[in-house]
Amino acid sequence: MNASRARMIWSVVTWTIVLAVVFPLIWMIVTSVKPQSELFSIPPTLMPETITFEHYWRLLTDTPFLQYFRNSMILAVTTTVVVVVLGTLGAYSLVRFKYRGRETLATLVLFTYLMPSVVLVVPLYLMMAKLGLANTLASLVIAYTTFALPYALWLLRSFMSSIPVDLESAALVDGADRMGAFVDVILPQALPGIVSTALFTFILCWNEYLFALVLVNSDSVRPLTAGTMNMLITSFNIDWSLLMAASVMMSLPLIVIFTFLQGTLTKGFGAGAVKG
Amino acid sequence: MAEVVFEKVRKTFGSTIAVNELDLTIEEGEFVSLLGPSGCGKTTTLRMLAGLEEPSGGTIRIGDRVVNSVPPAQRDIAMVFQSYALYPHMTVGKNIAYPLKKRGIREPERSGRVMATARLLELETLLDRKPAQLSGGQQQRVALGRAMVREPQVFLLDEPLSNLDARLRAHMRAELIEVHRRIGRTMIYVTHDQLEAMTMSTRIAVMNAGVLQQFATPADIFHRPANVFVAGFIGSPAMSLVDGELTGPGSDGSDGDGRFRVHCGALDVALPAGLLNRSAAPGPISLGIRPEDILLGSGDHTAAVGLVERTGHESIVRLDAQGTPLIMRAPGDTPIEAGETVRFSLRGERLHVFDSATGRRLNADTENS
Repeated sequence: MNASRARMIWSVVTWTIVLAVVFPLIWMIVTSVKPQSELFSIPPTLMPETITFEHYWRLLTDTPFLQYFRNSMILAVTTTVVVVVLGTLGAYSLVRFKYRGRETLATLVLFTYLMPSVVLVVPLYLMMAKLGLANTLASLVIAYTTFALPYALWLLRSFMSSIPVDLESAALVDGADRMGAFVDVILPQALPGIVSTALFTFILCWNEYLFALVLVNSDSVRPLTAGTMNMLITSFNIDWSLLMAASVMMSLPLIVIFTFLQGTLTKGFGAGAVKG
Repeated sequence: MAEVVFEKVRKTFGSTIAVNELDLTIEEGEFVSLLGPSGCGKTTTLRMLAGLEEPSGGTIRIGDRVVNSVPPAQRDIAMVFQSYALYPHMTVGKNIAYPLKKRGIREPERSGRVMATARLLELETLLDRKPAQLSGGQQQRVALGRAMVREPQVFLLDEPLSNLDARLRAHMRAELIEVHRRIGRTMIYVTHDQLEAMTMSTRIAVMNAGVLQQFATPADIFHRPANVFVAGFIGSPAMSLVDGELTGPGSDGSDGDGRFRVHCGALDVALPAGLLNRSAAPGPISLGIRPEDILLGSGDHTAAVGLVERTGHESIVRLDAQGTPLIMRAPGDTPIEAGETVRFSLRGERLHVFDSATGRRLNADTENS
């Protein structure tokens, strides 16, 4: 009796929190399909009386939304690939090779996080301009890589240090060279770490606003965050319907990616193969 | 020819000497155990042979080839690791096939050889499983299979049985002997378990603190231990080692029968004539007495009985011969109780005498003396 009451109370509490968290998302979706006329009706309608996709259509046909989307995609995918490649190789080196200053290097890498990114915006912009990279996607790829790489290195380092050295030795004795052992044994074992790193990097790139706002300034290279804000929020007007439709579409890739990778992230990897 | 030769091989880690001036020649087809306590350098020796560690000095040869800086892949060796080191993301079949794949052996030959190996080790039904789904014994067999499938010149085994329970270990010991008999390749086996070394090896290399102590057949190691370390390390329960004084024939003026005597506290033993070699001279020594060489009942020595451990078929008895501790092995049904005083004698021809200063054995039958 008591136990079931306690369970009920817990359920109520849990659902209240869930609803509080989910409500803005629901409101975003609801608003994006309401006709303009219903948007500011008093009292507000929780469920739209008529459902319309005109905002989505307008966004896709009348605005550079698709261009921004493409830019964001290129940006996020490129950065993720660069970070994962550099991160895995770098982490492997930190774990397996012995050289002077290895530990110091690993710690220093983390120190870069202590610097607030705001103070880097202007110097970075000037540097990019000097390099002739101002207003290019490459400048953002470089900037994002510098943010994501330290995290990637640390995450992958902890993953790789948990891989038994014996596995690699076995691969070497079995006929692999070092690169072969890395590809055949280390990478599959570090896969959950690689997936988390990739996910982290992708989300960071996809949602980043400050650097996107400063480092690029033409529609042809603007990513979604900066582009959408620039296009829909002006001093005179905020186009809520379009903004919400854009937000929904911006969230889609992340939802899709999460759905696909969740399995890999949580799959019970590497358990029990090495005893001792 | 796949003889394995270590010549003056050294390995240092920083200021620590892991292996010191190792000279060892292992003949083709031998089953050699590297035996010693933890940290004696046996695993380092094996890893140097595998190419996973580079020697700091000396040369290692496999057959006619100096392999010091040859990468592991090109040494034609296979290794079974203590942790088995099975690739967790590959099935049993893929694990066994991996060395073949890396050497460019194509299908269908590859599958054929994997199947043949699996059949030999009774793994056919497990080929599609992942290592995590196997029992310890099965994982062990997969590790063995992965080593055997390639038919290398030399097999290296690093404490492959230490993670198994006692029953399985006894079973796998027999199986390994059988495998060695069947394929006849050189096998080098690292262990700290003297039972494994004694039962499986053609020869045993006993190591301690990076130094080879003795390299001989199991029988020689047991009956003719080259020094105090080997004497104390081999045998269970361990040989009793008692410090004493060796007096030469006639040196005390009273004993004119040409025999050495040993005085260890209250224990005074006349050694059989011819037991010691010519270099034996009066002075401080250690007397080694195996538990089975103490005979109860008659004799001129007495001792108080301490702890009696009965295992059923035998009793391990601790004796105190007027301050000298001894361990004795007696039949299981011996009527003996703690607190009693007993008489005992020693099998003089089986006693071991070691020089206290050098630790070397002074018996006449010692090799290289």
